[in-house]
Amino acid sequence: MKLIWNYLHKEIWSPYVAGILLGIVGILAVWLSNSLLGASGAFENLAGLIGKAIAPKLFDNLYFNFIMPPGITNNVVLLIGAFFGGMLGAATSGTLKWGKKDAANSDQQWKRIFGPQTWKRWLLGFIGAIILEYAAGIAGGCTSGLAISGGMLLAPAAFLFIAGMFTAGIITTLVIYRNRF
Amino acid sequence: MTTIITLLLGFFFGFSLNKAGLTKYHKIVNVFRLTDMAVLQFMLTALVVSMAGLYTLRGLGLVTFPSVPATYIVGNLIGGLIFGVGMALTGY
Repeated sequence: MKLIWNYLHKEIWSPYVAGILLGIVGILAVWLSNSLLGASGAFENLAGLIGKAIAPKLFDNLYFNFIMPPGITNNVVLLIGAFFGGMLGAATSGTLKWGKKDAANSDQQWKRIFGPQTWKRWLLGFIGAIILEYAAGIAGGCTSGLAISGGMLLAPAAFLFIAGMFTAGIITTLVIYRNRF
Repeated sequence: MTTIITLLLGFFFGFSLNKAGLTKYHKIVNVFRLTDMAVLQFMLTALVVSMAGLYTLRGLGLVTFPSVPATYIVGNLIGGLIFGVGMALTGY
């Protein structure tokens, strides 16, 4: 019991243990609620909701009417849960930095590559996230929704996506890190 | 009821991601630098466990699969390629 308790307070688990936990969650998602784990869809649902309220004409298209209907969907609920789950994970390992100095930019490696400015991190994160969401919209899912959830149902789409993701990811880091690769 | 289940599932989803270190920038980027394979180990373990579990359950007739993500080769590949750029930039 003590062993488990101590393990819960470890900051980084063995990826195998965490992977088994996620695998079980994936099984339960299909078994209990007949749905897949997705993260990026929730943002599109919320964006659709806001967009329909602000510019209904612009958002009155095929994509937002049929493929990603706006509203508080299962995905949004899942994302809220994931937020608190991640928070608890950070709290148990003592890395929850709510309101502390450097909380918004605490990654040493990031600072070494791009510099210590917080605004830079936020800007790059914002731009990167736009690219991410756009690509997730094209592919039909993100790492969790397509690669993991699709992969566990052996969907060919998932493996195509993983191949594309790693190819582009490796090339992009090569460009960013150059000789520090 | 489904809402509560989904919320709980999301909770453990976030928890496992956090504990695997996938909420950290350097973990995500280092897998692309091929210096830290934690992301791959995590993803593939999850895949293997849930694949085995789900196909066993389906064999026993306990679950029906939801519709799988649609396959359209060009879309999936190009989406994946653009996604990789964003992922390496953000560390998502």
